[in-house]
Amino acid sequence: MALDRYEWLGRLAGRIPDDALVMSTYIGAVSFEWAHHTEEHHRSAHLGQMGDVIGLALGLALALPHRKVVCLDGDGSVLMELGQLVAMGEQQPGNLVVFVVDNGVYESIGWSSQGRRPTATAGRVDLAAIAAGCGVPYTVDVTAEDELDAEMELAFSRDVCSFINVRTRPGHSHVRPRRTDGIEDKYRFVRYVERLEGIWITGVPPQDIALMKGREH
Amino acid sequence: MAMTAAALDAAHDGLRAAGIDFVSGLPDGWQRPLHERVELDPEIRYVPVCNEGVGFSICAGAWLGGKKPALIMENSGIRVASEYIARISLGTGVPVTLLCSYRGDVGETEHWGIPHGIVAEPLLQALRIKYLIVRHVEDLAKSIVRAKRIAEAQLHPAAVLVSGDCVWED
Repeated sequence: MALDRYEWLGRLAGRIPDDALVMSTYIGAVSFEWAHHTEEHHRSAHLGQMGDVIGLALGLALALPHRKVVCLDGDGSVLMELGQLVAMGEQQPGNLVVFVVDNGVYESIGWSSQGRRPTATAGRVDLAAIAAGCGVPYTVDVTAEDELDAEMELAFSRDVCSFINVRTRPGHSHVRPRRTDGIEDKYRFVRYVERLEGIWITGVPPQDIALMKGREH
Repeated sequence: MAMTAAALDAAHDGLRAAGIDFVSGLPDGWQRPLHERVELDPEIRYVPVCNEGVGFSICAGAWLGGKKPALIMENSGIRVASEYIARISLGTGVPVTLLCSYRGDVGETEHWGIPHGIVAEPLLQALRIKYLIVRHVEDLAKSIVRAKRIAEAQLHPAAVLVSGDCVWED
């Protein structure tokens, strides 16, 4: 029995540690629903697109190894670039947890009387098995709600590189689309990380600001 | 054939002088020694990948976490990475320094390198990536520093293409 995406994303939003960072997809229902559940909290980077979400999350996790990084991706996106799972399995950062919304269809492109266009996971492909084959230390294919609760509990209570594939029913909720573009999303996230970590990432460097203040006097 | 010992030192010096502290990449024949050198550098986090597109995404994610990333690859890798360069950097503005072997440049001896040379520059231009072609070892370190500098200023990748005396001792 597959899960309802909107409902379980809401439960995930309620369980995610306050000091975690999230790398999510940029467009489509997963992003819109996640933004809705989290009230667009700036800890979530809605910057990933087809084939690069796990790669972005992996880079972020390696850059900030003390920080829990949660990745939200879709089955179509993971399938587009399976090489990301190779890198994830090679690096195995203990602070990275990947959740895949696996509904077995390309939902965001729309549908007709013939139904939705299927992804390969609607057939024989098992993403959790592929991730395990790539060396990801913990992988699981979740199909039941109580199972998902236990997996979320486990994921946030330990430091093990994890790939949690969640079988989800196709279907849209009716939350409104997000209004921001990738540029705004990037700045929001980067400024949040700068404050959280006490680091400088982009813009005028702090030492130059200090210099300019010195010139004023 | 690999990059010369002098070019290897210059490339490594350039990466360090530029403040690069995170490198991803896929080794090729010319820059293999640089991958080996960087992997042993305690100041640089080295993340090998099996395709350059994944490497670019990882570098972009590392930048969002405060790292100063570079992607080291053959110029054929620009083709592979172009999908994610377009999605991530043209779409959101993320800087990554690209250090590429310029296979197919004048002097190439291998037939398979020719298409890499034909495609590389037009593709960089299509992706609005500024680049320097380095054929003299003495230009290599400062070119890497300059590429990283403009990448951060424009919040978009910049590239160094390595060829000429950096690889051939003819």
